[in-house]
Amino acid sequence: MSKALGLGLGIIAAIGGFVDIGDLVFNVAAGATFGYQLLWVIVVGLIGIIVYTEMCGRVAAVSGRAVFDAIRERVGFKGAVVALVSSEVVNLMTLAAELGGVAIALQLLSGLPYRWLIAFAVLAFAVVIWVTTFEWIERIFGFGGLCMLVFAVVAVKLGPDWGQVGAGFVPHIAHTNRLLYAYFVVGILGTAMTPYEVYFYSSGGIEDQWSPKDLGLNRANAILGYGLGGTLSFALMITGGALFLSHGISPQHLGTVALAAEQPLGQVGLLLALVGILFAVGAASIDTVFAGAYNLAQFCGWEWGRYRNPRGAPRFALTWLVLLLLALGILMTGVDPVALTEYAVLFSVVALPLTYVPILLVANDKAYMGRYVNGRFANALGLIYLVVIMIVALAAIPLMILTNVGQN
Amino acid sequence: MLAGCNGGTVDRHALTNDGATLDSIACEGALLASDVARGRTTTYFAREQAEVLRIESSNFADALSRRKALPSIERRVREKAKHAAVLAVTLQRLHDHPSDRAVGAAVASALKKLASCT
Repeated sequence: MSKALGLGLGIIAAIGGFVDIGDLVFNVAAGATFGYQLLWVIVVGLIGIIVYTEMCGRVAAVSGRAVFDAIRERVGFKGAVVALVSSEVVNLMTLAAELGGVAIALQLLSGLPYRWLIAFAVLAFAVVIWVTTFEWIERIFGFGGLCMLVFAVVAVKLGPDWGQVGAGFVPHIAHTNRLLYAYFVVGILGTAMTPYEVYFYSSGGIEDQWSPKDLGLNRANAILGYGLGGTLSFALMITGGALFLSHGISPQHLGTVALAAEQPLGQVGLLLALVGILFAVGAASIDTVFAGAYNLAQFCGWEWGRYRNPRGAPRFALTWLVLLLLALGILMTGVDPVALTEYAVLFSVVALPLTYVPILLVANDKAYMGRYVNGRFANALGLIYLVVIMIVALAAIPLMILTNVGQN
Repeated sequence: MLAGCNGGTVDRHALTNDGATLDSIACEGALLASDVARGRTTTYFAREQAEVLRIESSNFADALSRRKALPSIERRVREKAKHAAVLAVTLQRLHDHPSDRAVGAAVASALKKLASCT
């Protein structure tokens, strides 16, 4: 695989992983509530996901082991079961939310009934995953998701106060409504560092047959890919602050995010935003369904991988099919994908330590990593982020209750 | 949080929150209607987004008209229910005529009056 093509993995992971329905919801809502004050939290989350993505990509390239494989070996069977159950529950909730987002985007584009579009989306994803190669999935969703860049144009065209935007990058605590501020801090960090991203990324690295000579590509993927995702997150929050805060709008729907693009750019902006959202949440759907199937297959020691024919990895193929059907069942109950997203993000925050602690342990294990073991800088950052992860994991549920899921 | 969803009595805090959400719906509807008036949106988007907002305000109207409220604020709660119902009817017009510029302008004006939108 050429290095340029290899960067596709980073782009799909970034667009689909860093900018998913959770980012759309939390970043725009945070902007609409606190203006640009929470931009610094995106930077914190961005550095954290780059640090850990680089680490788990390095583990995959050097040891040939994906994250869940390592979790099973490092934390033992019982610990791995807890990690597996929590990750699968969060993955399923996230998958349902992302598929709901796909159906909403399709509805806003076509005007067709929402429930039909849920069924269509699930069927379409099953067919795409079954018949399309991994490279083409990366190309289609990664490059389709680049339409999200329209929000960077929107953020500039809305003419925000750049002085205030700059001030938003300086970490600080809000003077008023501190609980709600803390809720958004936790939510934004949760969306940035959601566990399925590293599960998908590390397994994808093994699918792409990375070896130590691909460590440069791994680093470029992590920095460029997530850097792009982070830029979009900044744009979404600035858009929320520049448009919705000043108009007294508290965004509750995915369509409201697209409405923002319509203000400065008209129909072209609206259509680019809807197509971008469609591909971004579509890519995240693919990421989450694969992450769920990878985790179970790696835990159970089954054959796994998209490069294998479904007949070569039948239980892996059955797992992602079942996950899609379960997500379909959840959405058909009428649950609101945006509300589901908020719960999925907050529960994923609670599960963060179960994902990131084993990665740090394995990346420091000379038996696995040899001379590619973590250096001092990577360890220092990894440890700092473990502390951050522990704090937000402990704070997530209390803040969810105290703020009524961010409603007041 | 929709007052009708908490299953309890509507208090001042819930009423304030619901009022803020209704204002948000009205302001978003006004923004959308302005785009319809200027021909800057698509028919499908305007219709579907107006419908989402209509359903939300209709749910508020239903909840605020039925739920028990503290006696001291009951009149305000029922007024807010009527306000939500008017909002729902106005958004229904936009849903029914998502490409009519004149209707868009009228709805935008009506919605701006229903809330303090900037």
